[in-house]
Amino acid sequence: MRTLFKNVIESPWAYLVNYLPMMNKRVKEFVHDLQDFYLLSFQGLMGGVRRPLYVKDWIDQMDYAGSGSLLIVLLISLFIGMALSLQLSAELSRLGLKMYTGKVVGISIIREIGPVLTALIFAGRVGSGIASELGSMVLGHQVDTLRVFGVDPVKKLVTPRIWSAIIMLPVLTIIGDAVSLFGAYYIAVFVSHQSGTFFWSSIRDILIYENVLAGAMKPFLFGYLIACISCYMGLSTRGGAIGLRRTTTRAVVLSFIAIIVADFILTRVLLYLLGFTV
Amino acid sequence: MITFDRVSFSYGSRSILQDLSFSVQENERVAILGGSGDGKTTVLKLIIGLLRPDSGSIWIDGEEITTKTEEELRDVRIKFSMVFQEGALFDSLSVKENVAFPLREYTHLTEEAIDQKVRELLRRVGLEEAIGQMPEELSGGMHRRVAIMRSVAAFEPRMFLYDEPTTGLDPINADLICRLILDLSRDGGGFIIVTHKMFDAFRLAKRFIFLKGGRIIFDGDREALRSSPLPEIRTFLRELSMECNG
Repeated sequence: MRTLFKNVIESPWAYLVNYLPMMNKRVKEFVHDLQDFYLLSFQGLMGGVRRPLYVKDWIDQMDYAGSGSLLIVLLISLFIGMALSLQLSAELSRLGLKMYTGKVVGISIIREIGPVLTALIFAGRVGSGIASELGSMVLGHQVDTLRVFGVDPVKKLVTPRIWSAIIMLPVLTIIGDAVSLFGAYYIAVFVSHQSGTFFWSSIRDILIYENVLAGAMKPFLFGYLIACISCYMGLSTRGGAIGLRRTTTRAVVLSFIAIIVADFILTRVLLYLLGFTV
Repeated sequence: MITFDRVSFSYGSRSILQDLSFSVQENERVAILGGSGDGKTTVLKLIIGLLRPDSGSIWIDGEEITTKTEEELRDVRIKFSMVFQEGALFDSLSVKENVAFPLREYTHLTEEAIDQKVRELLRRVGLEEAIGQMPEELSGGMHRRVAIMRSVAAFEPRMFLYDEPTTGLDPINADLICRLILDLSRDGGGFIIVTHKMFDAFRLAKRFIFLKGGRIIFDGDREALRSSPLPEIRTFLRELSMECNG
């Protein structure tokens, strides 16, 4: 490190000239990867409106992504709803605003926590599964075998995974939101001793078009991002077990980052479009 | 049937094949020999268009395939039967579904006809009993046999491409696979087998191409190979004499 620093200080121009080809190569690789990713995402999505459809693969993937993730979504959503209700009840009661617990919990869950939390669970379970499954298919020459038989791997493997994520993540989010609200209700009524009727009427009040739309739009985009990233990572697996570990980890980490960044951008856009003032 | 004209290929900055030129006729029995990482499997993948060369051209039946689209390559690929290393059976499908896969893709047979055809193919390799099993339940030799039958299920290939079909198998299973390969080529069909097992190569092939560092260092028949003074080939031949003496 000291030598590198010394080289840069003594001869920055020579250092730059030496490293330019390497930087050039890295930039080219990055642009190439990005181009491949966009192409795969587009072809994977459009595969859903062109024959053959591989209906059995769609059903299998929806089963894996949807009913397979249901239990973990139910469990985590329930406890998150309960924890959120506990925290807010404690804080709001100090301000004398305990009766607003339902309203604040409801808005938090429906607009923000529900979609993001379910997407993170989905990325951890389904995204990693997709990346490792496709990765092992690449390493075992199963993807090459599909091509030898004249089957388009994007249509057969990527399209069902993308569409199952786009369809199932919103469904899981709605179920997760409902369970979170039940958890919050339980804490508000039986621990914080609030009125159950008032809690539900607060929830009904916030179930307006703007809030529901803000929460309902996100899972579609998150599902698409998770499936595209995981499929791309899986199909670009190289280098045996170590390569498989690397792509699976990358798929999950990149999906997490994509969810959080997309959530911020989408929130900002939706708030603007729906006329909320910040 | 197959012509490589000054073909070069690299994975990133790592050069695999350099200016490779050779031709193979439809009825030839060719073994591509060489050490690990010398580009043997890459040659097979280039033949069926799974990889595209960096430079040079590949001709199949007088047609250049290097510029063909994935859709156009479908017509090229059905001329070959490719069996990958370790079989490459689909993990999520049973033995029956694996063998039926190309039948469903390429034919319009009824379920009953598919079932009958799959049983017939599996019976030929003594695996009818394994029809309902999953690939994970099969041994290495059974894997390869199912994979070979899958590759001939839907159409009659003009040439077979085998990627290390006997690697990792015990002598009995390796013998079974070799006999199956010879049996499928009985009617004059040729094949290219990629292997580093000299014993199997000598048993199956009549022409030998030896790759080293992405270049052809030997191309000839059995006698020429036996008398080659090249040290790399002598090392491989030593394994053969050990197996024969053993």
